[in-house]
Amino acid sequence: MEIAHETLVALSKSWGLFYLVGFSLCVIVYACWPGNRQAFQRAKTSILDEDDTPRGPQA
Amino acid sequence: MVSQLTVSERQFALVILGLLAMCGLAMAAGGRGDPMGAQGFVVLIYAVGFAFVVMAGLYAPEPDDSRLSRYYDDPTKVGIVLTMIWAVIGMGFGVWVASLLAWPNLTFDAAWASFGRLRPVHTSGVIFGFGGNALIATSFHVLQRTSRARLADQFSPWFVLIGYNLFCVVAASGYLLGVTQSKEYAEPEWYADIWLVIVWVVYFLLYIRTLMRRQEPHIYVANWYYMAFILVVAVLHIVNNLAMPVSLSHAKSYSLFSGVQDAMTQWWYGHNAVAFFLTAGFLGMMYYYMPKRAGRPIFSYRLSIISFWGITFLYMWAGSHHLHYTALPHWVQTLGMTFSVMLLVPSWASAGNALATLNGAWHKVRDDATLRFMMVAAVFYGLSTFEGSFMAIRPVNSLSHYTDWTVGHVHAGALGWVAMITFGSIYALVPWMWKRQAMYSPKLVEVHFWLALAGTIVYVFAMWNSGIIQGLMWRTYNDGGTLAYSFIDSLVAMHPYYIARAFGGLLFLAGAIVGSINVWMTIRASRLEAAAGADADLPARPAGAVVAGE
Amino acid sequence: MASEFFHRKVERNTIGFVLAIIGVASIGGIVEIAPLFTIHETVEEAPDMRLYTPLELAGRNIYIREGCYACHSQMIRTLRDEVERYGPYSLAVESKYDHPMLWGSKRTGPDLARIGDKYSDAWHVRHLIDPREVVPESIMPKYGWLARTELRTADLGEHLAAQRAVGVPYTPEMIENATADAYAQATPDSAGAGGVTERYGDATQMRVFDGDAARVTEMDALVAYLQILGRLTEAAYGEQPTAATE
Repeated sequence: MEIAHETLVALSKSWGLFYLVGFSLCVIVYACWPGNRQAFQRAKTSILDEDDTPRGPQA
Repeated sequence: MVSQLTVSERQFALVILGLLAMCGLAMAAGGRGDPMGAQGFVVLIYAVGFAFVVMAGLYAPEPDDSRLSRYYDDPTKVGIVLTMIWAVIGMGFGVWVASLLAWPNLTFDAAWASFGRLRPVHTSGVIFGFGGNALIATSFHVLQRTSRARLADQFSPWFVLIGYNLFCVVAASGYLLGVTQSKEYAEPEWYADIWLVIVWVVYFLLYIRTLMRRQEPHIYVANWYYMAFILVVAVLHIVNNLAMPVSLSHAKSYSLFSGVQDAMTQWWYGHNAVAFFLTAGFLGMMYYYMPKRAGRPIFSYRLSIISFWGITFLYMWAGSHHLHYTALPHWVQTLGMTFSVMLLVPSWASAGNALATLNGAWHKVRDDATLRFMMVAAVFYGLSTFEGSFMAIRPVNSLSHYTDWTVGHVHAGALGWVAMITFGSIYALVPWMWKRQAMYSPKLVEVHFWLALAGTIVYVFAMWNSGIIQGLMWRTYNDGGTLAYSFIDSLVAMHPYYIARAFGGLLFLAGAIVGSINVWMTIRASRLEAAAGADADLPARPAGAVVAGE
Repeated sequence: MASEFFHRKVERNTIGFVLAIIGVASIGGIVEIAPLFTIHETVEEAPDMRLYTPLELAGRNIYIREGCYACHSQMIRTLRDEVERYGPYSLAVESKYDHPMLWGSKRTGPDLARIGDKYSDAWHVRHLIDPREVVPESIMPKYGWLARTELRTADLGEHLAAQRAVGVPYTPEMIENATADAYAQATPDSAGAGGVTERYGDATQMRVFDGDAARVTEMDALVAYLQILGRLTEAAYGEQPTAATE
């Protein structure tokens, strides 16, 4: 088919861009979502804890 | 180490090693008259050697259950030692091949000692041997700490580590025999590739099972990078290595792809090996060890997430910049160039995030060579990603491609970023693992730092100079409108830079040797103390905040 | 709200996270690579394209084994200086039977895409045995053992069959006669010589490449391969659009 290659190229070019923009938006929304602030803050600081033992499933 | 495994784990290990030895034997028998046979013996010896290690500890008593309330660090410890061994091997071969370019008669007419066979030993030794072991060792450590959970089982980490090193050994010994697929950074042949897939699946399952046991609600960002490293490398490895072996007793295979498709697949792989092996994994390292060592949380957690997805998304498009002005369709080249330039955003966000983390701790950077390793790594990461985006621009690439500039760029990344962040992390990790207050000699860490920095700078400047000169000579016309220089003119002009490059590499290698001695002496001190009866079980306080010389 | 729910799920659910990474990472590769598999629709035609003979294929495998690709490219870019230095720029069709391609990434030595027929066999043999005897400034390794090592030809049929399996149109007849054809190409006086040209075309170079008619060495194979580089098709030697001058 003569069209297949052209179609694939066109799809790549257009949807690639839409995908890029949409995806960036999602990531930024996720990163800035107010509800995530606390989790991020905790993750950021908790690695600095000096406790070096695993926590049991019950703990 | 074996005594920490349960009796059934030891037996299982023996079964696996037995199966492996059988594979080796089958390869040796079936591949007579082919390099496959010699590769079989390598597998056989490797499996039997480890079987002896397991058997020596087979009848040790069962370990007690208190081990389950601690992290499982034995594989990390062995991984650190292997990392340092591969560093010396890989960089040693690097100095050797660099010298061959300056003094080509050093091959003493032996096939295995010619440049073309030694070069992949250098590249694989450094990327897979040194880099891969560092990633595996640190990932086990980071994964457990950030999940606050012990590794999901005790057998898989050993399978991953020892199996992975078998891949490295088979690959390196194969190159010397002339076994190669010729795909850069994917040279190992089909049987080694299949083995790596098995190892990688176990690695992935171990990682994900441990993550599922985590006692933290959120997965710390370092694990995101390690996960991306494991997953995407698997995809890249499988796709790029699809091939048809000549027969089951031949080492040789033919790639499923040809020509332009093969070129695109190869550089999609090649570029993303840089992205997900040499960048993502090591960023994971940085996001854990740098804050830990500096005693400060990362500057912006949000930024680290945004740059994570940016890197994961954008890198995949950039591979075609390796094929500018070639027979690859023009639109694919343009796409690759555009995304390569965009890549600068998440790359610099990561580098900036790292440096901003250190802001306010500059006195520690000044006093602590370990932290300085990490700081310089972040700087080189920023520099080489900028350089990479710049070189991906078509007109720049027309000058830089095929020249030593590319080699210089790769080494700015490999020496300046990958090796420096690894050494920094190892110097932070070794005292924690062996429960010491600090490294055996902080002075030697300092020596290593300056050797590494000087070596990198000499190397990179030599290659920038030679690359640009080379590129310009190839395209210079004289007044008559004909090419001004023959190829050999440009080669002669390279000679001084090739010597300088070998010297820069030698400095870097010397640093790695100093580092290995330091690591070994630290381990030895820990052992001597344990042997002297003094219980080395110091309070498990990480020595992160301890600054050398304080 | 939907978005928050989704992200929370991704974050808490490790499997979801794994899928997200694979999904995000694969798109770029798929978009760029998938269209290339339909490229035969747009790529130049080369009806005269011929296959590597068994001897040349063996030579190509030696080229790969010795890592020649690490220092020599086989891809002339569409730049004026490259075209003037090395010859017409490389076309996609010229490597369509190359499993794998050997475009290379570094020119420590010159490009070899069109090295075929530029130098004599004797020059190549001397150059491979001791490069500095012919080009004093060269930094290429010596490959003396190639002339001393007999070529392994017994399994060439299996090699051709594997090539056929990945899409190179070797015929069953070619596969069956591979070993004999390799010998005959480097021993043009032998009985089988006629079969080689019959199967691979009259343009096939039938010579004692290494100057030693008594045996077929790895040197024969490698030189046969070097002499065919850029000569599998004449497609690139016609009118080419003007090369870029940047």
